Amino acid sequence: MQPPAEFVHWMFATGLVLVGLCLLAQAVVGDEVWRRRPWRAYLWPSLAFTMGVLMWPVMVFFTNSTIHMLAHGSWAQVMMFSGAAELGLVRGKLHSRYWRLAMPFAFLVSGAAFLIHEQNSWFFARAAFLHHLIGWTLIIGAIFPLLAVFRPRSEAVRAGFALTFVVLGVMLYCDRDTAPVFGHLSPLAGAQHR
Amino acid sequence: MKRALAAAAFLALAAPASAWAHATLLQTKPAFAQRVERSPRVVLLRFDQSVEALPNAITVYTSKGHVVSGLTRSTADKRAVTVPVQQLARGGYTVRWRVTSADSHTVSGVFTFGVRHPAPPATEAFGASGPTTTEHIVRWLYFVALALVAGGLGFRLLIVRGPLPPQAERRFYWIAGVGAVGVIEVGIAAFLLRAEDALQLPFGYFLYGDLSPLAKLRFGLAFMAMTLGFALVSALLFLAWLTDRRVLLWPAFLVALGFASGLSLSGHSAVDSGSSWLSELADWLHLSAAALWVGGLVQLAFVVWPLAPELRRQAFLRFSRLATVLIAVLLSAGIYLSVLRLPRLSDLWSAGYGQVLLVKLALVSLALLWGAAHHFIVRPALERGAPLFAGLPRSLIGESAVGIAILLVAAILVESKPPARPATPQVALHAPAP
Repeated sequence: MQPPAEFVHWMFATGLVLVGLCLLAQAVVGDEVWRRRPWRAYLWPSLAFTMGVLMWPVMVFFTNSTIHMLAHGSWAQVMMFSGAAELGLVRGKLHSRYWRLAMPFAFLVSGAAFLIHEQNSWFFARAAFLHHLIGWTLIIGAIFPLLAVFRPRSEAVRAGFALTFVVLGVMLYCDRDTAPVFGHLSPLAGAQHR
Repeated sequence: MKRALAAAAFLALAAPASAWAHATLLQTKPAFAQRVERSPRVVLLRFDQSVEALPNAITVYTSKGHVVSGLTRSTADKRAVTVPVQQLARGGYTVRWRVTSADSHTVSGVFTFGVRHPAPPATEAFGASGPTTTEHIVRWLYFVALALVAGGLGFRLLIVRGPLPPQAERRFYWIAGVGAVGVIEVGIAAFLLRAEDALQLPFGYFLYGDLSPLAKLRFGLAFMAMTLGFALVSALLFLAWLTDRRVLLWPAFLVALGFASGLSLSGHSAVDSGSSWLSELADWLHLSAAALWVGGLVQLAFVVWPLAPELRRQAFLRFSRLATVLIAVLLSAGIYLSVLRLPRLSDLWSAGYGQVLLVKLALVSLALLWGAAHHFIVRPALERGAPLFAGLPRSLIGESAVGIAILLVAAILVESKPPARPATPQVALHAPAP
């Protein structure tokens, strides 16, 4: 007994929006204010790490196709890895700033996994459209965490990084299997859900 | 309020399930691995979207590979496809299917059913060729990874209980972390290799192959449970490193050992004739003892010896004591399982399984001799306060290498089929009650 796909998408969308809002708040108020309470520094990396751990059940319970299993597995791993790297840096266990490259790497791998595992064309249905859009948003959005490695104090970069998460979350909220996109639904997609 | 918000956020993330986005097989008749008492007239597959089916989209095979199905047809709503089958005799049957999703992508799969006979597992469907050399190597890597994480954690908690020098601590976490991630990665590779063998599809089609029949087997369930278990172990290991709280290594160790039982609950000891809860327990003890022994040796040779010289003597003596217990468990469980799986002594040299077991026994004897030299020569000398032997690190590395070689042979053994047990005489089965 599996719940509809949207439910899972919404759960992870919630996580992405929370990560994005934390990052946005940090970008707006600055590090000094944000870190007045030390636990806040751990907030978004912990969320990313936890989402990675929670993606594993999705991977193992979803075995309807090899490619989807692999895609979910890759998201689980890169979310855990990038969250862990950020936590290590915040905690002072890791020192090299190049550990921050884990985040753009995670964006690139996640984006590629979205694009590769989506079999349908852009305008097949809303889910297909958003999968393409999310994939390319992740790949193009990787520029923000990449620039953040070299320009960690740039407000534009930090805001872009935060907003990428928010946008990804919103797109994932809208993701729905066989719903029309711009009023169009491929006749091949089957009947709409509900 | 803050706590309530935190709890709500956690709950929103804490119940993930699964998602699908393309034509998915919803139902089959007969069902996956179902035993039916009467021959079905048709085999039916129902999908969540419309699909196109060629006349040979569904093929039903007997266990000997004879095709017993006719031409495939679609139902009026195009969401189901059916194929008529002949009157089926008692036995196991394999259904291989391949349909084109309405969006032109092919989805494929395999499942089995039995007529007045248990359905064969999907991994033994007609056309599956059995374990390959690649699968042996993958299984071996799995054992090595399991030894690195479970044995490493055991060594850290039972042998070197106090703090380690920072460099040694870092290397311990690296080795155990590589083991934890290795178990997950190699486990995925092993599952996919097994699935590829069962599905018998070209790579492009395999990517869109339906793995759900395999996920419902013991093997698949073990894969799912162990992946989740070792994801948790990885998280605990990371948190222990991050927060410097060694207490978190205990749950990681116990979860690792507990979920290692997935192998015992899905292997020969669980499914072959003569298996029972005792054989499953023996298999798990055998595996756990081997993992603790090999993983502990690796930690001793690569962490304590080069990076914590002040702990060498104490760690060696403690590990030597633990190794004695581990070897006793290893041998007792191993002998019990050998007797169970080899009904005749002659199977040792006449059956393939027995021959691999002989190679394993030879390597185990070598490891035992090596361990005995450490136990009876080096240990008493160290207890007397004699200086450490210069060649001891090389000797420890050698013993670890033999242990890892044993794991390779064990991997081949696990993938091999034990010889069949002699049939119980019919007379005994039908003997009248006194």
